[in-house]
Amino acid sequence: MKIGLIGNQNSGKTTVFNALTGLNNKVGNWPGVTLEKKSGKIKGTNHELVDLPGIYSLSPYTIEETVSCDFIFDDKPDVLINVVDSTELERSLYLTTQLLELDIPVILALNMTDLLEKNGLKLNVDKLSKLLNVNIIQISGVTQNGIDKLISLIDTVSIKSSVKIYSDDIEKCLSSLEQNVKHSRFINVKKIESDSRFVASDSEKDIIHSLCKYNDLEETIATQRYNFIEKVKSSCVIQNKVSTISQKLDSIFLNKILSFPIFIGLMFLIYYLSVGVVGSATVDMVGSCIDGLGEFVSNCFISWNVSEIITSLVVDGIIAGVGAVLGFVPQLIILFLCISLLETSGYMSRISLLLDKLFRKLGLSGKSLISFIVGSGCSVPGIMSTRTIENEDERKMTTILTPFIPCSAKLPIIALFAGYFFPNNSGVVSASLYFFAIAVIIISALIMKKFIFKNISDTYIVELPEYKIPNVKYVARDVFDKVIAFIKRAGTIILLCSIVIWFLLSFSFNFTYGVDIEDSILATIGNALSWIFYPMLGSKSWGATVSAIQGLVAKEQVVSSMAVINGLAADVEEGAAIFSTSGIFGFFSPVSAYAFMVFNLFSAPCFGAIGAMQRELGGGKQLLKAIGFQTIIAWLLGTLVFQIGTLCQTLNISVGSVIISILLIVIIIAVILNMQKKKNKCSGCPYCNSCKS
Amino acid sequence: MKLSDLKVGQTAKVQSINITDRKIKRHLLDMGVVVGTKVKITKVPPMKDPVCIELRDYELAVRKSDMDKIECEVIDV
Repeated sequence: MKIGLIGNQNSGKTTVFNALTGLNNKVGNWPGVTLEKKSGKIKGTNHELVDLPGIYSLSPYTIEETVSCDFIFDDKPDVLINVVDSTELERSLYLTTQLLELDIPVILALNMTDLLEKNGLKLNVDKLSKLLNVNIIQISGVTQNGIDKLISLIDTVSIKSSVKIYSDDIEKCLSSLEQNVKHSRFINVKKIESDSRFVASDSEKDIIHSLCKYNDLEETIATQRYNFIEKVKSSCVIQNKVSTISQKLDSIFLNKILSFPIFIGLMFLIYYLSVGVVGSATVDMVGSCIDGLGEFVSNCFISWNVSEIITSLVVDGIIAGVGAVLGFVPQLIILFLCISLLETSGYMSRISLLLDKLFRKLGLSGKSLISFIVGSGCSVPGIMSTRTIENEDERKMTTILTPFIPCSAKLPIIALFAGYFFPNNSGVVSASLYFFAIAVIIISALIMKKFIFKNISDTYIVELPEYKIPNVKYVARDVFDKVIAFIKRAGTIILLCSIVIWFLLSFSFNFTYGVDIEDSILATIGNALSWIFYPMLGSKSWGATVSAIQGLVAKEQVVSSMAVINGLAADVEEGAAIFSTSGIFGFFSPVSAYAFMVFNLFSAPCFGAIGAMQRELGGGKQLLKAIGFQTIIAWLLGTLVFQIGTLCQTLNISVGSVIISILLIVIIIAVILNMQKKKNKCSGCPYCNSCKS
Repeated sequence: MKLSDLKVGQTAKVQSINITDRKIKRHLLDMGVVVGTKVKITKVPPMKDPVCIELRDYELAVRKSDMDKIECEVIDV
């Protein structure tokens, strides 16, 4: 049997899915965590369970919601499990009443019943079941209560007759329309609503016009549906909801004065913690472990008389390349943990709300922010989450901008350079790159809004979920999964690349081994292209050039490649640090390091993210334009940073004073612009009548 | 009066929804904003837009431009 799991956004479908199947799909606390249907087998049965993106009604509003509606009509499920958040009964039952009009057996799974009492609610479930004529099971996806009962009900549930919920004239009209098709009641309702997917025949249109005399039938149906639910609810809910902790928390997190400092502080803290605190504590230890392993293996190989080529491949290629990346796992754990807490607590929806107005000025909306925050873990899910944005231009802009956010794979690059060149301020420098990214996003958005995407949406209708204490098990699982994925990538793609890089570095074009590294294949290729990076490095470095290009494979490959190149070049001293002055990357200065980081952060993302962009943008031409746009911006910014930085150095001005003066100028301009605006017109606040004219 | 004219803490009953964009109106209807719905302004974030409204036991964030098009009548609770 095929069973669909359907319900409102954020009603806990995926938690129920995981409880039913024993799988571990990602859960979160914001509308739109599940974007594609995912299936699994229900424990102890042969039933296929399909987890669907959340929907509020069977009239899809965004792309990901369409997936759920199409599933019902195209995949023809045998049973639907309707997950209902019992603390938000009224709105949830709206979808339920639509599902009950279908000719598919429905089980209503009342979820989060463990939260009912906390919210001061009591429900008469038997009465609810009778009034809606549906089988109801009380469950809790988190505590697994009622899950076994739900599984056993699947085999026995059958289609029940739909209850009459509309006024007499509409009910009469429904029974006068075509009855001999599957889902006839549902389809007839849609015909009355004049839904574009279910078109009424001309004779049916006449019936509808003569029987239903309302201005706006779509509105009438929705209103009557809600009126019915209100009646049902008032006879089933014994106590009413009391205000919860969410309101109190919002008075802090959405506070007039505190909200922005809290938001900026939290974002700063994430990068400060992961790169600054944890990074500086672990980087030396991990580094010496890897060096130690390399030395150990090389000593073993020498004593076993293993050939020089193999030893070099293993030690200088594989251990150096893979090890360089694996060394950043501690920082990533902290980053993933912070993002997971943001996602599961409900705070992310507040950030979206907080910044919506600012983002609208850029042609984006608060929804784009969710993509950006998810993207700070990995661009791929970040880009996918743009599907919850209903305006096409806004969605495309968000897709192009999301890779600008430093993702976890870019963290090794930041940690490597910031840790070496700014040892006392590595946390501040890495957080500064995050804010740099925000600035780049703002500028790029303004450019795109001006020239490409002009059709800007005017709507933001988003549910604000309640705060939830993150579930320790799920957060741990989420962090664990992401770290494992990173380690797997190190063991596969990065390993492969390290071998290829080692090969290209150890051989010349006529395949002689052991040539001077400057004569290797890779150096020849790099030298041919090194002019590209000259303006931001101040040196024609083939090593930095080929490493930056490898960022296309995976951004952490930049670090891996630099480690392999340095390892093979450093005949001077064994295990020399990547940036030791005698080494091949010795030319890097703090200024060129920052410039190089900027380029790698903002240039074309890795192939994985490019693939995700292609799926969302849909066309080759637009994709190429987007990637070109990103890379040109990155090159310009890298060059700008290096040139301004160098100029400051020669003029003996500190970088800090430049940053502060730029900030001051921006603030002054913003204040002046704002003052002029206020002079001209009312700022548009709705809560005073004094300036209304 | 318009829904956007309400102050924080005030509750009102929706009288009419005058949004011409079918898709947006449909979405608002689906979310439970229909004629007769009781809506309370719960909080106004620092930038004053969008505004949080409470209806049907949950909270919804809506931009003022949409709230401008919803006529309502203030009621005492």
